[in-house]
Amino acid sequence: MSETKQPVNPTPSEFMDDPVLQNRSRTREFFKKFFQRKTAVVAGCFILFLVIIAIIGPSIAPYDPAAYDYSAIRSGPTAQHLMGTDEFGRDVFSRLLAGARLSLGSALAAVIVGAALGTILGILAGYYGGILEALVMRSSDVLFAMPDILLCIAIVAIIGPGLINVIIAVTVFTIPSFARIMRSATLSVKGSLYVEVARSLGCPDSRILIKHIFPGTVQSMIVNFTMRIGSAILAASSLSFLGFGADVSAPEWGAMLSSGRNYIGVADHLILFPGLIIFLTVLAFNLFGDGLRDTLDPKVK
Amino acid sequence: MYESEVTEMMKKRVPALMLASAIALSAAGCSGGNQPSSGSAAPSTSGTPSSTATAPDKDLVVAFNTDIQSMDPHNTTDTLSITVSRTMYESLVTFDENQKVVPLLAESYTAESDNLTYTFKLRQGVKFHDGTDFNADAVIANYERCLADTTLRQNSRVAKWESCTKVDDYTVAIKLKEPNSSFINQFTQFQIVSPKALEEGTDLNKAEAGTGQYTFKEHTEGDHVTVVPYADYWGTKATVDSLTFRAVPEDGSRVAMLQTGEADYIYPMPTVQADQVNGTDNITVGSVASNIMRYVTLNTNLPELSDKRVRQAMNYAIDKQAYAQVVFSGYCEEVLSCYPSTVSYYAPQTPYTYDLDKAKSLMEEAGYGDGFSLTLWGDNISAEQTGMQFIMQQLAQIGITVEVLPMEPSTLSDMIYVDEDQAEINMWYVNWSASSFDADGSMRSILHSDMVPPKSANTAYFRNSEFDSLLDQAIKTSDTDTLTDLYAQAQAIVWDEAPWLFLGNDELVYGAKTYVSGIVLNPDGSVNVTNATLA
Amino acid sequence: MGRYFVKRVLSTIPLLLVISILIFAFIHLIPGDPVRKMLPKEATQEEYEQLKEELGFNDPLPIQYINYMKDLFRGDFGESYKSGLPISEIFPARLQATLALTLWGIVWSVILGTLIGIVSAVKRGKVLDYVGMVIATSGISVPSFWLGLMLIQIFSVQLGWLPTGQLDSWKGYILPSITMGCSIMGTLARYSRSSMLETMQEDYVRTARAKGQRESLVVLRHAFRNSLVQVVTVVGLQIGGLLAGSVLVETVFSIPGLGRLMVDSINFRDYKVIQALLMFFALEYIVINLIVDLLYGVLNPKIRYD
Repeated sequence: MSETKQPVNPTPSEFMDDPVLQNRSRTREFFKKFFQRKTAVVAGCFILFLVIIAIIGPSIAPYDPAAYDYSAIRSGPTAQHLMGTDEFGRDVFSRLLAGARLSLGSALAAVIVGAALGTILGILAGYYGGILEALVMRSSDVLFAMPDILLCIAIVAIIGPGLINVIIAVTVFTIPSFARIMRSATLSVKGSLYVEVARSLGCPDSRILIKHIFPGTVQSMIVNFTMRIGSAILAASSLSFLGFGADVSAPEWGAMLSSGRNYIGVADHLILFPGLIIFLTVLAFNLFGDGLRDTLDPKVK
Repeated sequence: MYESEVTEMMKKRVPALMLASAIALSAAGCSGGNQPSSGSAAPSTSGTPSSTATAPDKDLVVAFNTDIQSMDPHNTTDTLSITVSRTMYESLVTFDENQKVVPLLAESYTAESDNLTYTFKLRQGVKFHDGTDFNADAVIANYERCLADTTLRQNSRVAKWESCTKVDDYTVAIKLKEPNSSFINQFTQFQIVSPKALEEGTDLNKAEAGTGQYTFKEHTEGDHVTVVPYADYWGTKATVDSLTFRAVPEDGSRVAMLQTGEADYIYPMPTVQADQVNGTDNITVGSVASNIMRYVTLNTNLPELSDKRVRQAMNYAIDKQAYAQVVFSGYCEEVLSCYPSTVSYYAPQTPYTYDLDKAKSLMEEAGYGDGFSLTLWGDNISAEQTGMQFIMQQLAQIGITVEVLPMEPSTLSDMIYVDEDQAEINMWYVNWSASSFDADGSMRSILHSDMVPPKSANTAYFRNSEFDSLLDQAIKTSDTDTLTDLYAQAQAIVWDEAPWLFLGNDELVYGAKTYVSGIVLNPDGSVNVTNATLA
Repeated sequence: MGRYFVKRVLSTIPLLLVISILIFAFIHLIPGDPVRKMLPKEATQEEYEQLKEELGFNDPLPIQYINYMKDLFRGDFGESYKSGLPISEIFPARLQATLALTLWGIVWSVILGTLIGIVSAVKRGKVLDYVGMVIATSGISVPSFWLGLMLIQIFSVQLGWLPTGQLDSWKGYILPSITMGCSIMGTLARYSRSSMLETMQEDYVRTARAKGQRESLVVLRHAFRNSLVQVVTVVGLQIGGLLAGSVLVETVFSIPGLGRLMVDSINFRDYKVIQALLMFFALEYIVINLIVDLLYGVLNPKIRYD
């Protein structure tokens, strides 16, 4: 497929200067521009809040997230249990706090690995071209031709369920998007003046790739990275919903939502709160990603 | 003997030996202590609507949690397919409300004293939906089809017949290869398809080819089957305009459909919702005793689990009442043996009353005071996952760390049916329902030492020669008193040796609009809809 | 253009072939087989082995693949192991359900998404822009099965206005198609906004503005028309995603479409159905891409194919 029409995030402009230079002023300009995007700032704060929760969550939880109480199962929100209790009488609020680490962590892990692999493949493909490029891009095509969720289902069906395997599945479908974006970013940077100069000076490829090409593509990567975390969280929870999910006893948000769905109409809080937190988290990452893109993209002024 | 027998209790076909008594139970409300179902009217048996609500139309919609696997009556295994085919097809004999085999398409039948030959006098003047006459040739044609096609699920049954011959136009004789006391029970499932349809190779997924009360109207694969009354039916004619069976796998949606009136009857009714919706929106919830035994197998080959004291300690650590409440919202009875009281020769034992102190001291005694770690396998459907988590929580109390591993049924069976030296199984959260409600069927395949995987499902690797010989003696015995004694001894051994965690016996729960009556839920999960009425 | 088209079509053939091999290998890697589920429960181990042999599952995978492809080239997709029905018979009804849902989902979401995109672009930086973008981003952020369950609870159970999703009447389409269209609405609004912003900076739009044309006219005639390219691209690519996304929506609303068939077939290990479905999704993706590429050229004369 030609990548021209791919609705990916716009690539950095051709006429960008070597990013190694002018770093400081760019940073300042970045923050100035970014703070103009109010929704992105709010989203950023929310993400920061989530990250803090993910770090300290279990210690500030009012209850042990695994502590059950069969005499108080599925009770609605009260002053004692802010978000009610689940089918084992466990405190939903505490579980959501404790689950932040798992849910964000697994999404992050999947996207980091996927981004790393995709970036390496994309940059190499873009820089060297030829067979390597054809191979990487055609493989991406094959993966793209498989809808995300189906790909995940198939992978989990083969390697079995469990948190690690869900992360692997999400990783696999993350790779091609990075490979594509990074390839086209590389292509545009490759033609720029400073790379030409470095090349003519006899710089080794490895140095050009690391020092010159990679920094030039990093913006595209960051934007896609942020957006992909949202889709990773959604994909993981969808897998849970279809019964291909992570460890059921862990307070992972997707698993909570998935088991909560049996209690719809009986204990709506079991589906409302986990669903809401997933929704808000994905929303925050997407809005934040939008802000980043608008700020980093020189085309939108 | 395959995993389907163990893990897919919903697909069980139980020749309804215990059917009527089970229904009687449901009608009376269940006898358990804190049964939320007790007292709830069972429209299936009351016959009169308990409310003034009237049906908006004469189209009856029944929603199930699975879709219809096959509409070919000779090829049905799941209860929904059986439910559907029963509305359109009939067999020569059937069960009546008193669990007795009675003639249906036959007028009468006789068994020779050698227990080998059965002669059936056929009902005259019956026509198939396609206009063909029902007679001896029709029966023979069905026999020949089942014998010839090995892929049909009835094939293994008719393969046990020596012959099926026409005596005259309305008399058929069946001769067995060897005596089989369950032949006549199994014969109730041998439904007769129009010989014309068979000859022409008509697609039975959309054929009008039965003699039943209803005839085929439409089938949308994966969604629904609709049947309509057959105008020339020989017996009591149906009173509804149409009957639709719909597949609604999502629990919440199925309940919602009952609430909105899109469905008039749903099965299963998710137990968590049962009390909530009972009595609202003209809904009444009822339950039927089942023959399902819920348990966890403990691999006795593992060093930790090879110690009887450990296994008993684990049983003491499980709060059975809490289990019933948390996992089945109370629709589950305590079981004091390795099979439920609905099965014959049930001999209750001394309960493993929930007692953590006793459990802990047994663990100490066995040298496992500090506990150990185990994995727990089970199906990945949500009700099973809840149960598995419950076991995890309970065993944590005596220091046993359990890793819950829900797996897809097919994957699971691949991991279970392996050679013994490759077995990775620790614990399996599972259930069993004996297809014939008999004691042997409730124990042999899962506890006899011949039946360890891959042959069958003795995943506890329970090997007790005394128990084996008791079962082997019993199968050759016909004297009731001796049987009672043998099976009681066998149950006592299993209970004391505790190769399982004994959990409970859950009920089958349905929901219906109050204006529906005459629908009977059988203990095997099949539903008899033929006498349904909408008021 | 004609040559380009032929070239593109031809280049998909090896791609499809590779995909078919990968899918085949993939499917058979899944542990378990359909044989156990096809047999009656009284079946013995021998019967199991016998049926397995009969169905050819004991042959080496390459042989199985070649046999499968032979049938395929004769136009025979095989039969479902689960229902025994030919796949060519199962497929159309399922596709119809999914397609109908997808179409309704696309209709409302394209209209609303484009509208939000335009308004947001025109009112850039104003409150309306923020509101529009938060709505749009919400659309792509909400877990669709969660939304579906919530909608059923509110509109079917509590209010009793709409059915829970039987596709018997037009009412049945409302909730599922809302659930389904949310993400495309969001995606579309976001892309049409940014592409509007881009085109509004183009010289010809500025010129039109400088000539004193009314703002609404500038927006509609110039900016919007040119950002249609983006809209087409996004819609095209999203259709593929929607068909797959139908897995979740169809599960929640109990609709017998391709998505649910997929999940059911994986559970039954209904190999041929899974193969047919995945091939269909791949083919559909390729065809849509091709169409989008061609439309792209029609809508944007700046692009040439050579």
